[in-house]
Amino acid sequence: MPYFGSEEMVKELKRALSNPHVQSDRLRYKNYITKVIRYMTQGLDVSSLFMDMVKASATVDIVQKKLVYLYMCTYASDKPDLALLAINTLRKDCADPNPMVRGLALRNMCNFRMPGMTEYIEQPIVAALRDKASYVRRVAVLGCAKMHSLQPNTEIDGRIVNELYALLRDPDPVVVVNCLRALEEILKDEGGVVINKPIAHHLLNRMKELDSWAQSEVLNFLLRYHPRSDDELFDILSLLDSFLQSSHAHVVVSTLRLFLHLASAHRAVQADALLRTSAPLLATCSAVSRELRFAGLCHVQQVMRSQPGLFATHYKRFFCGYSEPSYIKFRKMEILVELVNDENVSLVLEELRSYCTDVSPELAQAAIAAIGRIARTYSEKCLDILTGLLALKQDHITSAVIQTFRDLVWFCPQSTAAVCQTVEAGVDRPQDSEGKQALLWLLGAHGDQMGSAPYVMEGYIDGLKTELSSTVKMELLTATVKMFLCRPAETQDMLGRLLHYCIEEESDVCVRDRALLYYRLLQRGAEETRRVVTGPKSDPSMSVLTGRQEEPISEWASTFNTLGPLAGRDSCPQTDAISAADQPSYSAGEELLPGSEDVTLSGPGDTEEEISLSLGAPLSHESFEKMWLDLEILHRQALGVSRPRTAPDTLQASLQLEKIQTLAFTPADTVPWKAYIYTRSTGTLILAELLQGATDESLVLSVKQQPVNQHAIRRFVSVLKSVLQTLNLE
Amino acid sequence: MIHSLFLINTAGDLFLEKHWKSVISRSVCDYFFEAREKAVEPDNVPPVIPTPHHYLITIYREKIFFVSVIQTEVPPLFVIEFLHRVAETFQDYFGECSETTIKDNVVIVYELLEEMLDNGFPLATESNILKELIRPPTILRSMVNTITGSSNVGETLPTGQLSSIPWRRAGVKYTNNEAYFDVVEEIDAILDKSGTTVFAEIQGVIDACVKLSGMPDLTLSFMNPRLLDDVSFHPCVRYKRWESERVISFIPPDGNFQLMSYHISAQNLVAIPIYVKQNISFFETGSSGRLDITVGPKQTMGKTVECLVVTIHMPKVVLSANLNATQGTYNYDPVTKILLWDIGKLNPQKLPNLKGSLSLQSGAPKPEENPSLNIDLKIQQLAISGLKVNRLDMYGEKYKPFKGVKYVTKAGKFQVRT
Repeated sequence: MPYFGSEEMVKELKRALSNPHVQSDRLRYKNYITKVIRYMTQGLDVSSLFMDMVKASATVDIVQKKLVYLYMCTYASDKPDLALLAINTLRKDCADPNPMVRGLALRNMCNFRMPGMTEYIEQPIVAALRDKASYVRRVAVLGCAKMHSLQPNTEIDGRIVNELYALLRDPDPVVVVNCLRALEEILKDEGGVVINKPIAHHLLNRMKELDSWAQSEVLNFLLRYHPRSDDELFDILSLLDSFLQSSHAHVVVSTLRLFLHLASAHRAVQADALLRTSAPLLATCSAVSRELRFAGLCHVQQVMRSQPGLFATHYKRFFCGYSEPSYIKFRKMEILVELVNDENVSLVLEELRSYCTDVSPELAQAAIAAIGRIARTYSEKCLDILTGLLALKQDHITSAVIQTFRDLVWFCPQSTAAVCQTVEAGVDRPQDSEGKQALLWLLGAHGDQMGSAPYVMEGYIDGLKTELSSTVKMELLTATVKMFLCRPAETQDMLGRLLHYCIEEESDVCVRDRALLYYRLLQRGAEETRRVVTGPKSDPSMSVLTGRQEEPISEWASTFNTLGPLAGRDSCPQTDAISAADQPSYSAGEELLPGSEDVTLSGPGDTEEEISLSLGAPLSHESFEKMWLDLEILHRQALGVSRPRTAPDTLQASLQLEKIQTLAFTPADTVPWKAYIYTRSTGTLILAELLQGATDESLVLSVKQQPVNQHAIRRFVSVLKSVLQTLNLE
Repeated sequence: MIHSLFLINTAGDLFLEKHWKSVISRSVCDYFFEAREKAVEPDNVPPVIPTPHHYLITIYREKIFFVSVIQTEVPPLFVIEFLHRVAETFQDYFGECSETTIKDNVVIVYELLEEMLDNGFPLATESNILKELIRPPTILRSMVNTITGSSNVGETLPTGQLSSIPWRRAGVKYTNNEAYFDVVEEIDAILDKSGTTVFAEIQGVIDACVKLSGMPDLTLSFMNPRLLDDVSFHPCVRYKRWESERVISFIPPDGNFQLMSYHISAQNLVAIPIYVKQNISFFETGSSGRLDITVGPKQTMGKTVECLVVTIHMPKVVLSANLNATQGTYNYDPVTKILLWDIGKLNPQKLPNLKGSLSLQSGAPKPEENPSLNIDLKIQQLAISGLKVNRLDMYGEKYKPFKGVKYVTKAGKFQVRT
């Protein structure tokens, strides 16, 4: 930062610092040094004073020493030859009787970032590792790491590494943690510090002495340790138990991560840990600091991916305050959408509705989109609100509502009729291209249900010359062609004009090509075009598969308490040290191997005996979908029982009691009603679909299996039947 | 862990930087400035900003951005809490944490930062221990220092770091032994138009000021500990005893510290001390509007509501306000569009009322949404949750200490919708 007249200032300081009168007056001398530091921190280049400052380091005044050291550390790399002169003073200070001075000198010597320092600092560091003052040992331990980073490509000094491992038993807790930190840096290329059984237990036993920062770090290091047996595992967990309720949010979250990692095979333990940390997490969500609140919300969001019900009763905590920053409001809305259930839906919707008129258009649009997400399950109430918003005649709101309608119609086709009615009844034309596209899509896809659709469309075609966005034009082309296929008489003329304009006058190549494509397609005949353009409409059960789904904890546990979820994107910047060792490793194939753990339950010979079902590792939606598509239907039968009229939760719970896992089912009032379930038995995985058509009452069961085992299917069918019958009786 | 720290004011001037490892160029802050510009309001700058080679983790406090540069994967809560601790330490040392005080005390700031982190790792953050390493500036001491030329650095090592209880140093001596506790409760609430509670909870803390000689072992018990279900304690509290007996047993740190914090979120337990009758409306024509607000006591348990302030963020089109307050003073700032009504003490016999007309920009359409009211208030000698300290006992030392408990209730994020 070039300051006006800065050279003059530096010259004057130089004169003053070398003035013997000033040097003899301690106070004036120190004032000048303070001035130098002040300029330095303001970004002024005062490196030309280096010699004078080195002289000033020979003093008994600790503050003056600190200031000079600070100066030297900043400029040492620019003036390596001069810095060597300072080293002598520093080495002398390393043998000072005052431990503060020893520590200070050593720390600053290690902070000189210039090549060739190692030979000067190695000996003092090694000596200081055995210093009797813990303050000096703390500095020395980290000094080892700094020394290593000065010459990163040299071989690791085994002597120092051994010394550091030995210091893990130091009586001072900070030295212990610093050892871990230093070893981690020195051994980075070899995967970091090794946590074996004795070290792990030693650390666990000293957890209570550490300050919260150190606790959090040790917990992260412990992620690397794998207990040998369940007994050991539970010993560790009970030692860590009290940290789940720590007053520091970062310790709570680190402990939770360790719990989830260690207990990955014990789902009950995981669930219990999540339950117990829900209170501290919620407290973080309403902390005074907005940054903490934000981080808390991000963590809650992750937990909810597996346990959406955990925070359902606390939904009011996620209502937005007026003065909260927008990044918090966005997260809260995302959480509210996930929390909705039968009891709170009307209150949550009422709350979201009030956000829709927020002064910030982004926030308003996000709120409308949130209502749209809820509409996939609770269409009627949401449609009322959305329709009401249209009456406000605000541009950004109208546009967002229409976009929401489009997504809703696609994901939840049951609502098509209501949406069409609303759009038909009169909607302002949205002004932005996103909104226009959405409206055109609706007109094109469902034009047969809207009487006025061709006239709206015609308005757009007439205004084509003033339309700037090419994506809108392309959407218009597609929509008009679709409309032509269902209402040819009204549309033929305008389609002709549109195609003519797009082919003859349009300058955008993409639009022209799209127009030509449709033109040639239409030349092949209407039937052919229909086959290509109007593909299959969306499937009513889609909303189930894309809707809320409970993911296994392992899906997100590896990124829990990391920066990724807060930064709002999955990819991390290329930070050099996000090593594989830092992340607990999960073999991706593990959960996809069906029944691998159940094989030992019963040998192949005893299949005639009672076959039991088991839950096994949970199946992700993707893998279920993939297998369902890959496999053939082995068995289909009408069960002869109708669908139980109980709440979905009850059905799910009772099936789970009998070791049948429910993956997804359609909302209660949809027709046809479907449910996807699976279970495991004797090394085989059974996937099944329950279907209730529009007319007949009885459920139809389709079963797929891998590998094939007819006994297991028979057993499965009988269990399922009995569950359904019992439920129907109730 | 934490590579570098930059302090930036709201005008976008970088006024302090500190690097614990290699020096990172200031240009890394360009990513921050970009986000700052996009956010418009300083409040809205996201706390985590990813850049191609680093993460920037930012907190915004007292009109200062604390921007930390992170190069390795770290737990985000860890860094955020640490940055707040840095800000709190400044506040503790200089009385307030502002750009001016930081610039005035730049030398101490550097000393502090040097002791708080080494090589990017947190080292000494307990205020007790820091104060022994680096003495805080006081007017008297800086005068003495000027005359004698002595420094403000402790000559001896902090003993607390070596005692078996890390938060308390050995050999504390006072002539007056005293222990004071402040029970501070903040009500966070949202009331809707009709006065119904949409959401309410109490955030409470117990701040302690303990100046006792030796190694006292204290036990604090409540009349109604069942009220508290969501609590977190200072590390000195024996959690097992709380779980089994519902008493707080601890060896206190020396000086000021926060003993515990708690939340009470069950709505039936949260009393709302005041009610607000309001009517703010804008006319379709004539570019004007009307405002009428009355505040009255609701559940105050017989105590007086003090320091009552109503703040309203008006829509952009409101140009001026011509109002009449029966009590207190009002002020409308046409630039920030904030109407501030400072009422003071609430008199239940004569309810304060603010009434009058608002003039809008001519020709502008009627504002879409009604503004909401933020309330600030204070009630002395009352913990609104009903929490009461029963008794405080001391073991381990022979003298008789002075003991005292004060209660105060404040409004936190207290909002009334219109």
